[in-house]
Amino acid sequence: MKMTKIYEGAHQWVMFGRDENKPDNIIDSNQYIVRTANKCLLLEPGGTELFAPMMAAVLHHAPVDQITDLFASHQDPDVISSLGLWDQALSNAKLHAPALWEGYIRNFGCESIEYVPIPDNGETIKIESVELQIIPAHYLHSPCNFHVYDSQAKILMCGSVGSAFEPANAPVFVERFDVHVEKMRAYHQRMMPSNQAKRAWIDRVRNLDIDILAPQHGRMFKGDDVKRFLDWFDSLQVGTGV
Amino acid sequence: MNSQTKSQFIAVASITSELSAVMVVAKEISLAAANAKAIAFRAGDKAKGFQPITDFINELAKETIELVTNINVYALLLYRLTVNEYRRTAAYNRFEQVAKLANGAHYANSMQEPITHAKTMMQDCQRQFKRDVTQLLGQLEAVMHHARAARVIAANSRIEASQAGEYLQSLQAVAESVDKAAHTIHDNVQRCRIALSIYRNS
Ligand SMILES: [Fe+2]
Repeated sequence: MKMTKIYEGAHQWVMFGRDENKPDNIIDSNQYIVRTANKCLLLEPGGTELFAPMMAAVLHHAPVDQITDLFASHQDPDVISSLGLWDQALSNAKLHAPALWEGYIRNFGCESIEYVPIPDNGETIKIESVELQIIPAHYLHSPCNFHVYDSQAKILMCGSVGSAFEPANAPVFVERFDVHVEKMRAYHQRMMPSNQAKRAWIDRVRNLDIDILAPQHGRMFKGDDVKRFLDWFDSLQVGTGV
Repeated sequence: MNSQTKSQFIAVASITSELSAVMVVAKEISLAAANAKAIAFRAGDKAKGFQPITDFINELAKETIELVTNINVYALLLYRLTVNEYRRTAAYNRFEQVAKLANGAHYANSMQEPITHAKTMMQDCQRQFKRDVTQLLGQLEAVMHHARAARVIAANSRIEASQAGEYLQSLQAVAESVDKAAHTIHDNVQRCRIALSIYRNS
């Protein structure tokens, strides 16, 4: 599992992904941690198949008993089907996930972990002194969906938005936006069902100060590519699968 | 899922299916008993010896139904335990994998506690499963006992039926159906016991 530190301040952000040992028929996904002095938040913990390499990678940054919080943007298996395993490994953890999906996500196994439902209009969560905004991103692509914004690190973990599928040796940041666009187009047209939802999200996100857009699949966007992505997405017609 | 877990799932599932067949048959016996009672009543003195037998058959059928109902509740618990054991074992195996992959990681040692815990939980499930299977086998034995008793009664019924003059045929049919039903119960329960016996406490 490749680990890339994407923010280093009073707290840290680390991106995990490009697992060379993952089976070919499982999609590659990015996981993120927010590490504070005594706590660790796992964003989009990933699927069952990814649990062991992911957990092993996290152990480079935090001991098991300091993994206190998990976040799932939506209910899909590549996002959170590992829950049943985290549930048995962590003795004192919370899962922040959409209220709407609670009954669904619990199917993955959630007995010792406390399910903290995120209301439809989002909220703020605190990991020690770090405040994270949980921003609604409904219908992008899941009908109940959230992104995570850290105003200190200026990172927006944007779940499925901005996703692309890449080979295991691909760089973690977009290098040439015009080339990268082609890897995203079909996915966004098909997976994002609503132009209206897209517009609401873009309006909301344009007001945030963002250095890095961090999606759940593919490469991250930084600097000017953040704006380029928002402009591109703004002009894209989505929901074309019908 | 390994083959041991798979066959455990199958064994537990087969209890429920075999027992639902036992339930159907036990209800048939109960019906046969009611039927026999009506005939014996009409036959009057000619079927005097048959009357207490019908009550006995009815009692036996009721007890079997009760037993099987209890066993079904138990089988459901056993199924849940199997699911739990599967989850615990899967977690334990993954945790071992984590320990291997985390070799050299700064906090690799912190994985020891979850591993030990997972192992204990897994072993607890295995022990509990064995204990429960042993108990369930005992309950199944009780059903078999009832089935054997029903066959003895069926044999007696035949003798009594032979004294019943023109009612001979219908009473014999009752004895026949009780015997057949008892036989089916015996066979089904026996299959359950065989499927489970490899998991019992030795
Ligand atoms: Fe998804």
